[in-house]
Amino acid sequence: MYLKNSLIIFICKVFLATVKIFSLGSGSTWPGHIALKMNTMIIKELWEKSHLKVILIAGTNGKTTTSTLLKFLLEKNRYKVFQNEEGANLLNGVASCLVRYADINGKLPYDYGIFEIDENTLPQMLEQIQPTAIILLNLFRDQLDRYGEVNTVGRNWKEALRKLPENVNLFVNGDDPQIYYLGLDIKSNVYSFGLHSTLLEKKEVPHDVDSTYCPNCGEKLSYKTMSYSHLGDFSCSKCSFKRENIFSYLPAELKSSLTGVYNLYNISAVFLLLEKLLNIHVDSLSKQLLDFEPAFGRQEIIQYQGRNAFLLLSKNPTGFNQSIEAINSFSNGKINVLLILNDRIPDGRDISWIWDVEFENLLNNAVNVVVTGDRTFDMALRLKYSLEKDAETRTDGNSICFDRVTAIQNLESALALVVKNTPKDETLYILATYSGMLDVRKLLIGKKIR
Amino acid sequence: MEKLSLTIGWLYPELMSTYGDRGNIQVLSKKCVWSNIKVKILPIDHNTSINELKNIDLLFGGGSQDIQQEIVMRDLRGKGLVIKELIERNIPALFVCGSPQIMGKYYEPAEGKKIEGLGVFDMTTLNPGLTKPRCIGNIIAEVELDGTDGTDSPKTIIIGFENHGGRTYLGKTAKPFAKVTHGFGNNGEDGTEGIIYKNAIGCYFHGPLLPKNPEIANYLLKKALSVKYNREIGLRYNSDDILSIKAKQIISSRYID
Repeated sequence: MYLKNSLIIFICKVFLATVKIFSLGSGSTWPGHIALKMNTMIIKELWEKSHLKVILIAGTNGKTTTSTLLKFLLEKNRYKVFQNEEGANLLNGVASCLVRYADINGKLPYDYGIFEIDENTLPQMLEQIQPTAIILLNLFRDQLDRYGEVNTVGRNWKEALRKLPENVNLFVNGDDPQIYYLGLDIKSNVYSFGLHSTLLEKKEVPHDVDSTYCPNCGEKLSYKTMSYSHLGDFSCSKCSFKRENIFSYLPAELKSSLTGVYNLYNISAVFLLLEKLLNIHVDSLSKQLLDFEPAFGRQEIIQYQGRNAFLLLSKNPTGFNQSIEAINSFSNGKINVLLILNDRIPDGRDISWIWDVEFENLLNNAVNVVVTGDRTFDMALRLKYSLEKDAETRTDGNSICFDRVTAIQNLESALALVVKNTPKDETLYILATYSGMLDVRKLLIGKKIR
Repeated sequence: MEKLSLTIGWLYPELMSTYGDRGNIQVLSKKCVWSNIKVKILPIDHNTSINELKNIDLLFGGGSQDIQQEIVMRDLRGKGLVIKELIERNIPALFVCGSPQIMGKYYEPAEGKKIEGLGVFDMTTLNPGLTKPRCIGNIIAEVELDGTDGTDSPKTIIIGFENHGGRTYLGKTAKPFAKVTHGFGNNGEDGTEGIIYKNAIGCYFHGPLLPKNPEIANYLLKKALSVKYNREIGLRYNSDDILSIKAKQIISSRYID
């Protein structure tokens, strides 16, 4: 068996090296695909043999940031850690990552392996590996064509989590009713993280909500206060279901270069895990957090032609609304924005969700908005109907303009225009779906798009 | 001159709003405002009285998740008769995604009992369960509506997205809303998509149908105005054409030479 796995690892490593030498891509999923073809149990076998401690991170939004932050803080505390590449979060991505970091004997000389896991893959992953800890961040509407309804994802998770033994540590978002519910009536150790009352500022339920009905009895939940979407201090008036025993941190403890309320949840999850699992005090975590830099495309800043290009991956209604809130919070009312809407497989083929985003809040603060991507004109229509007053629509060469909005299908031209619109040394904001973010990032760092 | 006004009823916005359904309401209400028509959006839920419901000029329903659909059905049974009366009185309506199923004769889920619908539409829906894949993808269809403006030809191409497990079959005399040119439509077999009865449209197009297909929005609004004021009234606003035509071209060019 091990000989066989050694051979598989060898083949995959040769494959990886070839991919690297000839720059054929990142090789983040193909080696795993091959490895799983040769041995469907390779994930389980490598994990069992190496006694590797595994931490899984799942949820609609924040997986990559949370994984990257967790790795950063573990390394600061002298642990040896590896993580799977962003987006490579199906079983083939996990297998790729394991064969990459394993030595030829199938050993993994690391303290922790951190894996962000796709929503649909979490149950399958739990069949293969028994993790030391799981972080469950949130569940929002996302790619309905791929994931199905939010309720279905929640149900599948509950079933998988019920099978876990006592010694698994589960860290759940206690402000998300559906996630909090997952932590009830299971054998594992459950810790709930949430935001401190001073950070729950909203009183009204926004439009982009999914879980405002009691997961226990179906009654409408009431909220004392909220942070965003359906996250907040909830309780059910009919049954006993309510948010309680929440671990939260003070605003000062969560200070970092990451902006947006959503990141406070990501940080709280990581802090709570490190406190409970490794006894690391929050004071030292807070200090170490100050040195953290965001992951690729998530609030990343790239210098481009004398401007600061600020990238915000925005791939579903809640993510988009949070990006808009974040840029409004440090804006001067003169925002220059580039919106990229694609409908490729990693983005989701269905773009209906843009009508659940509050673009009105963006237009209130923007001086120029340039729209591009595969679905340029769907996004332009969305912006058109966000306007108070009807605006004349004009065709101008390759672009269509109205009010402060310009729609250009070609990404290079769209980027050139938003750069022209933005004064030197100022910030231009780029809100993009997944593949759009990868493409624009290539342009910003001077690479060609394939 | 009196200012024109319309009341648009929106079925259970909190429960039946799955994926951008409110785009339709945004288009209808902005088109009214921009045409100088006073518009009131009336959310219809368990707090809505029968009298309020009787006075609407246009009705819209979106999609819902399974659990929410049960809650909706419990309340809607008490309102079914009034909704039927509205449709019989030629009040225009648009039901997208899952809501036409509620308006049909019955719905047979993959597991469990048959669910009675309100019987507005002469159609039945059957969910074959996991043995057959869901119908997911971009959908292109051709409609022939009287009274649409913005196009010279009475035929209009509409484009959107469908995502449904159920297969819908129309009654013998029922009229399909559109003819599928790409995608699945009602059942993936007979080339029909949706249903139209009097001025009420039901379709599997989900979420924001109207932004990319303003012809349908214009049709609904003009019908609502002519029923209420008993004369033909044109809409002033018409400038979303370039964007919607371009948006449609992008999808149609992927599937049609």
